[in-house]
Amino acid sequence: MTQTTVYVAKRIVTMNPAQPEATHVAVRDGRILAVGDLARCAAWGTCTLDETFADQVLLPGFVEGHCHLKEGGMWVWPYLGWFDRRDPDGKVWPGVRSMDAAVARLAEIEAAMPPGQPLVAWGFDPIYFGGERMTTRHLDRVGDGSRPIVIGHANGHVMNVNSATLRLAGITADCEVEGVARYADGTPNGELAEPAAMHLVLRQVGNAGLLAPMDEAGMRGFGRIACRSGVTTATDLVNRLTEPDLAVLRQATGADDYPVRLLPAFQAFHGTHGAAAGAEHVRALQAGNTDRLRFGLVKMMLDGSIQGFSARLRWPGYFNGAPNGAKNGIWVTAPAQYEADFETYHRAGLTIHTHTNGDEASEAAVDAIARVLARAPRPGHRHTLQHGQMIDRPLFGRMAALGLAANLFTNHLWYWGDQHHDVTMGPDRAHRLDACRSALDEGVRLAIHSDAPVTPLGPLFTAWCAVNRVTPSGRLLGAAERLTVAEALRAITLGAAWTLGLDHEIGSIECGKRADFAVLGADPREVAPMALKDVPVWGTVLSGRVHRAAT
Amino acid sequence: MGHRAVRPRAPRRHLNPPPEATPAPPPVDRIPFTVIGGFLGAGKTTLLRHWLTHAAGRRLAVLVNDFGELNLDAELIAQAGGDAVALSNGCVCCSIGDDLSGALIRLLDAWPPFDAVVVEASGVSDPWRIAQYALADPRLRLDGVVVLLDAAAVAAQAADPLLADTLARPLAHADLLLLNKTDLASPAELAAARAWLAAHAPAGASVLETVQADLPPALLGATLYQPKGAGWAADGPRLAPPAVAHDRRFEAWATAPAGRYDAARLRAWLRALPAGVLRLKALLPAADGGWLEAHWAGRHASLKPLPAGTPPPEAGAQLVAIALAGRLPRAALAAGLRACHT
Repeated sequence: MTQTTVYVAKRIVTMNPAQPEATHVAVRDGRILAVGDLARCAAWGTCTLDETFADQVLLPGFVEGHCHLKEGGMWVWPYLGWFDRRDPDGKVWPGVRSMDAAVARLAEIEAAMPPGQPLVAWGFDPIYFGGERMTTRHLDRVGDGSRPIVIGHANGHVMNVNSATLRLAGITADCEVEGVARYADGTPNGELAEPAAMHLVLRQVGNAGLLAPMDEAGMRGFGRIACRSGVTTATDLVNRLTEPDLAVLRQATGADDYPVRLLPAFQAFHGTHGAAAGAEHVRALQAGNTDRLRFGLVKMMLDGSIQGFSARLRWPGYFNGAPNGAKNGIWVTAPAQYEADFETYHRAGLTIHTHTNGDEASEAAVDAIARVLARAPRPGHRHTLQHGQMIDRPLFGRMAALGLAANLFTNHLWYWGDQHHDVTMGPDRAHRLDACRSALDEGVRLAIHSDAPVTPLGPLFTAWCAVNRVTPSGRLLGAAERLTVAEALRAITLGAAWTLGLDHEIGSIECGKRADFAVLGADPREVAPMALKDVPVWGTVLSGRVHRAAT
Repeated sequence: MGHRAVRPRAPRRHLNPPPEATPAPPPVDRIPFTVIGGFLGAGKTTLLRHWLTHAAGRRLAVLVNDFGELNLDAELIAQAGGDAVALSNGCVCCSIGDDLSGALIRLLDAWPPFDAVVVEASGVSDPWRIAQYALADPRLRLDGVVVLLDAAAVAAQAADPLLADTLARPLAHADLLLLNKTDLASPAELAAARAWLAAHAPAGASVLETVQADLPPALLGATLYQPKGAGWAADGPRLAPPAVAHDRRFEAWATAPAGRYDAARLRAWLRALPAGVLRLKALLPAADGGWLEAHWAGRHASLKPLPAGTPPPEAGAQLVAIALAGRLPRAALAAGLRACHT
């Protein structure tokens, strides 16, 4: 006998334009049976009325179209970032705003650690310290100086270590590697940039931070963070999908109480597989899709990051120049290779999400995809450009004509907006950074994202960025590019669902769709736009199963 | 996310695990490390296949982006699985994936150590960044950065504004540029390729025109100056005639320099070696009565005392330098060397 549960809520915001609001939703077999008032729900026969959400507001479960499971896996190491951040258990780690604060936090952690074990921390970002750099002089004040300490920077390309680690790794004044930063007298100061310099440390302390493999505890942590953020569907937007990776994914999502549906995207760059073999691998995995684990996405990557000066920019290039004097960023994949591989995955029926940060990379992707689609038309392909931070109206127009979606990195407006304005791209282009309004005006399907763990998972915060476009210094970046709250809410539900090819199944509350809800303490349409990020999240419902956020 | 991808990695696996009872291995010399760069289609894979199949007793460890592309003959493959292929001639070929550091760590754990490590840079990466690993790791010694260019295509590729900087960037630190596929280029294409190289290669760069990327594997430092497998003989180190001596495209100069040498002056001389030298190795008596071992490869110099316990070379002072034919600056080398006398 199938059970029908009718949830009554203070309000249900459906995101279905034909029926924007309701008070009751009936759920059967994990799916939405009816939406409206009690009478409409009860018309289906015997049901149980559940009043758990009587004082809450239900929205469709949020969809994070670009994040990484590592959001849940970083917390085995202490956090050392500039901004406050909440861990999977709900504990808020205050932002570290001075070198002394960093030393104090590390000293406290170090004192509680068993001897011998290296201390690894993550999330540090010197870009906010106004030119002051962390060195061994800071880190050697932690403990008695004998324990190796490794501080991973937020960008993943740089680390700081203490003198004990330098000794362990054999890094001395004689070391010729370019990434070893030095004091005036030539001795290494503990800052190590780029893989070769970091390799010396990783050889000694093992993989840490972003490089460490995902494990079961990290998967559970991700689930808790997703639940607290109202997220019921999330991508893991680059995954090698080797057997160990698959085992971790299957084990976690195989548990009935896992609170989030995952879409891992196959890593189709760095030449780890020929494209044909990669496409075959993903196609084979699709046959085993479950409700909570869906294969079929492919991730490709064209350039680097804007704040790392490795993104490919069109004229006039970087504003204050890259510190290494480079005139432009790098291609992670050659455009010609990208086009050939894209075509292979496209012809295999898969959906390709392409990392393009700089506008030259976005344009190269659009050019390549236009040629591929001319050779091999495939209506409804749902290919998406990810980040797309510098795309302007004409390029959005071309994307719309090709059916390409945009998933813009609006969290950058807050986290690096001031740096983009002052340093990387200058005011003109910073004002059209992550140009959500332009995208919608030009008819592009729009999602917005966090790229967690690069910035914290939290669609309401991501929407807040798109709606307010403010920076930590109080600047408003491009008032004309702001979204309304309704548009931003659509971007974190139906918009993101569309980029994943799941808008027929999730993203709104209507009959036939999955019973996925974000359970909120207030109607986000009724709070002040600046309070959007502060709307409380009670928890989620995933395919009819209720998940209360850990408090 | 940002530039670096998040990626779990397969568990570590030894390519050649030492037997349980093996005592700690003795200290070994640094392993020569060569980086092969070049844009898509320039011939990197052909070069690597050539080296792997003509290794002539040397155990090469070759790290590539995709070993499917190498298309090695089945009879050459002794064992294949996961991220590595072991060849019947003792060489190993491993997939880099996106974790060069991890792949290198596994290789350096192998025992006995490989004679040389060769890394294929991806078509768009800067090989000099990969060469940094050799400067970083105490187990490695930078042996060269070889960059291939497609003679038929490079001028057209460089005319693409998206690619111009990507093509030019790797030239800056290359110690040998191969203008490859000259047989497939039209006279006009070849002329355009030469002109582009002349405009973009660093002054004095060594450029070799090749067909089928036929660079002799003997140029790898492992056995360039000494017989394979030999420890130093009782009469001390002796440099062998360079293994490329019979290749008309190369020129070698062997000499027995007189006098004693000042280490600081030698170091300065090595750092500013005249253009054209591809490889140089020397055993020279120092002012203090000890012996110095000088090495120049990959546009990179090193000078250090002979390891403790090495018998002094009875054959006396020796120096061997190699360059492309017609490019060896003998007079400048001889003069520079003389200026390092104590």
